[in-house]
Amino acid sequence: MDRSCAIVGGGLASFVVYVTLRHGGIEPGEIAVFDTDPDPVSAWRPRAEAIRQRRMRSESDGHCYPRSFPGLAPREALRRRSPAPLVQTVCNRYRPTVPEFLQHVEELRDGSGWDESFSRRRVGRVKAAERGFEIDDAGSFRHVLLAPGHPGLSVPDELGADPRTVHAYEPHHYEDRVAVVGAGMAAATEWLNALAAGAEVVSVRRREPSRRPLNVPRPLFSKAGLAAFQASENEDRVALLARLGEPSYPPGREWDEPLEQARREGRFRVAESVDGEAQVICATGFRRGFAHDPLLRGLVAEHGLATEGRWIVLARDGTIPALTDDVRTIALAGAPAQWTYPAADTLVGMKYIARRFLRRVKACRTP
Amino acid sequence: MSYTLRGRLESRLAAVTIPFLAACVIALVIKAWWPVELAGAMLGAGLALDLVVYHRSLPYQPGWAAVPLGVLELCVTMGIVLLLGIDAPLRPALWFFVGSWLVAQVLAHAAFPLARLTYAEDGGELGLAGKGLFLVAPCAVLVVLGTAAATQPPTIVLEPGIHAGPLVLDHSQKLLGEPGAVVRGGIVITADDVVVRDIAVEGGEYGIEIEGAENVLLDHVAVSGASMDGIHARRSSVTIRDCSVRMEGEYTQGIDIGFAFDLPSSRVSECTVTGGREGIVSHMAHVDFRENHVSDTTMRGIAVTEMSMGEVTRNDVENALGIGVYCGDYSHCEIADNWIRTIRPDLASGDRLRHGLAVLSHFYAKARIDNNGVVDSPGGIRAAVGATIEVR
Repeated sequence: MDRSCAIVGGGLASFVVYVTLRHGGIEPGEIAVFDTDPDPVSAWRPRAEAIRQRRMRSESDGHCYPRSFPGLAPREALRRRSPAPLVQTVCNRYRPTVPEFLQHVEELRDGSGWDESFSRRRVGRVKAAERGFEIDDAGSFRHVLLAPGHPGLSVPDELGADPRTVHAYEPHHYEDRVAVVGAGMAAATEWLNALAAGAEVVSVRRREPSRRPLNVPRPLFSKAGLAAFQASENEDRVALLARLGEPSYPPGREWDEPLEQARREGRFRVAESVDGEAQVICATGFRRGFAHDPLLRGLVAEHGLATEGRWIVLARDGTIPALTDDVRTIALAGAPAQWTYPAADTLVGMKYIARRFLRRVKACRTP
Repeated sequence: MSYTLRGRLESRLAAVTIPFLAACVIALVIKAWWPVELAGAMLGAGLALDLVVYHRSLPYQPGWAAVPLGVLELCVTMGIVLLLGIDAPLRPALWFFVGSWLVAQVLAHAAFPLARLTYAEDGGELGLAGKGLFLVAPCAVLVVLGTAAATQPPTIVLEPGIHAGPLVLDHSQKLLGEPGAVVRGGIVITADDVVVRDIAVEGGEYGIEIEGAENVLLDHVAVSGASMDGIHARRSSVTIRDCSVRMEGEYTQGIDIGFAFDLPSSRVSECTVTGGREGIVSHMAHVDFRENHVSDTTMRGIAVTEMSMGEVTRNDVENALGIGVYCGDYSHCEIADNWIRTIRPDLASGDRLRHGLAVLSHFYAKARIDNNGVVDSPGGIRAAVGATIEVR
């Protein structure tokens, strides 16, 4: 057995898990992190920049600290010597800016030992072994967390080959007439970006977006709402996850007023399909499901894991039941863990998985 | 946060621990049970609301909801306090509630999440510690109730009819009278923590004499026929409320509280005092005279004198000879919202300071007066012999 823990993937989910393990007393030398880029926001940052995201959607618990408190709001209140962030946070109105969040990640990274644990390697295979898991030829580990991230950007088939098409998460400028495909948070952000750039915007959508502050209803973030979700039948769970995956963005005047004004000026309208717009921005998120990820697909195929729809069936703590026992753990974090926690792709969801992973690691550490 | 029911109850029990312990300490210090009773009422109100209201109607509870829910819990707690007759003074009780609420907020938003990583996502549950609370809480309640029962003063009930006095109460106790219970010959109280309630006292040199006793409550007593003072307190701290004192004879006084400057304040409220030279008087004591009706006195209706500090508020003083309200001899007095009517000049005394004065501040006393109604009192309001009156 090499080290106690391995984290496959070097994005935010992995980083949150790493920081939580460190908080729980696991030393950097006991943890191996595998990915190709040591910057935990190397994937997230360009996407946020591409859609000109200014503030985080997440609220007070939207940070990478292992503890819920103190989060970014109390720290900002101290720094600014102003109670405003605290008042905003009790009213669910505190949303840190993207630069603040990035700085927070940077500071946490520096003090956590992340770089000490990091190995530059793209993992192609994880295989169950006696009392642990083998990761390519990097060795075997008793506890493994897989956080491979999103398996690529999603672009509708009919637009894939269209030269006008750009994904919202790719760097782009705005033409005079822009079609924005999708109706979620990224799409809404793109509507405002394009309007602010002087463009005429056509929102192409198949359904009306719901308006909710967070990705999923608030009770699903904690035990009270999760209990029913986790006890539901597989088909019901798949259906609920599909509903939760439908487009949504937060309510608020900051969204509605610019759109309403542009509508009155004839610069914003809704359409069912793309027409002759000069640019088509696909704010259609990511490809979904384990089958799009070679590592997870191989894991399922090699070990005959239970799946339901596009999900790997997980236990309530995010572990894969067939491969987890008293002496070893393999768990998923990030979007693939939505089977356990519908908001697993949020920072709060990442912490949910991380804390349970830590519990298992501490219960059975490598001697 | 979305609490589970167990999370609500565990968080509630954990949050009330500090106020409960504080209440026990305060109770020991001030030798009164109301802080513990109040903490119990707060906990009862909170648990009842958790079970009946919050759990069903609040699947998600935003941080700001703590304020309106706190107000609701305050109302329910006050309802319980009134219902159970908990004898908690309003202002300290409110401060205690506010302090407890603040402690609960700090614990729920900061301390519990710091102590337990999964506090928020577990819906407020505290793991093993929470389960322990479910065991400890009933034990704590039993200990407190047991202590309360063991330390409660004995209760003695006087049956209807005449009981020969003087009755001497020389240890902590409650003396309760059934309707028609009369003590003839007076009551003498020499012990702390004595309650006398619903009793008529006739005769005696002093109707009720309190000597060197603290935390004495005279509630709904009727005193008449005493040859000196109706109620006479020396070196004591006493609360007298809803009493009736009827005095006859040239040198009698209604209620006299004296020589207790270093003791907790005494209060006389909602009493009716008729006759006597002085209606209600203090000598070198901290006093609070409020909402009393004093009439037919021959020297002064209400007097705060001999370096006393006193509040005289919302009293009704009428038909007194000479002076209605007196603040004298280096005393400091707050005299506000009183009705002072028909104060007759005492011409026979030959003293110009007794010519029907509604308020007299005398001999280096300092009186602050505010919003008093004065009717048919020819001497008006005066300060004399180095005394001052500040009108607010």
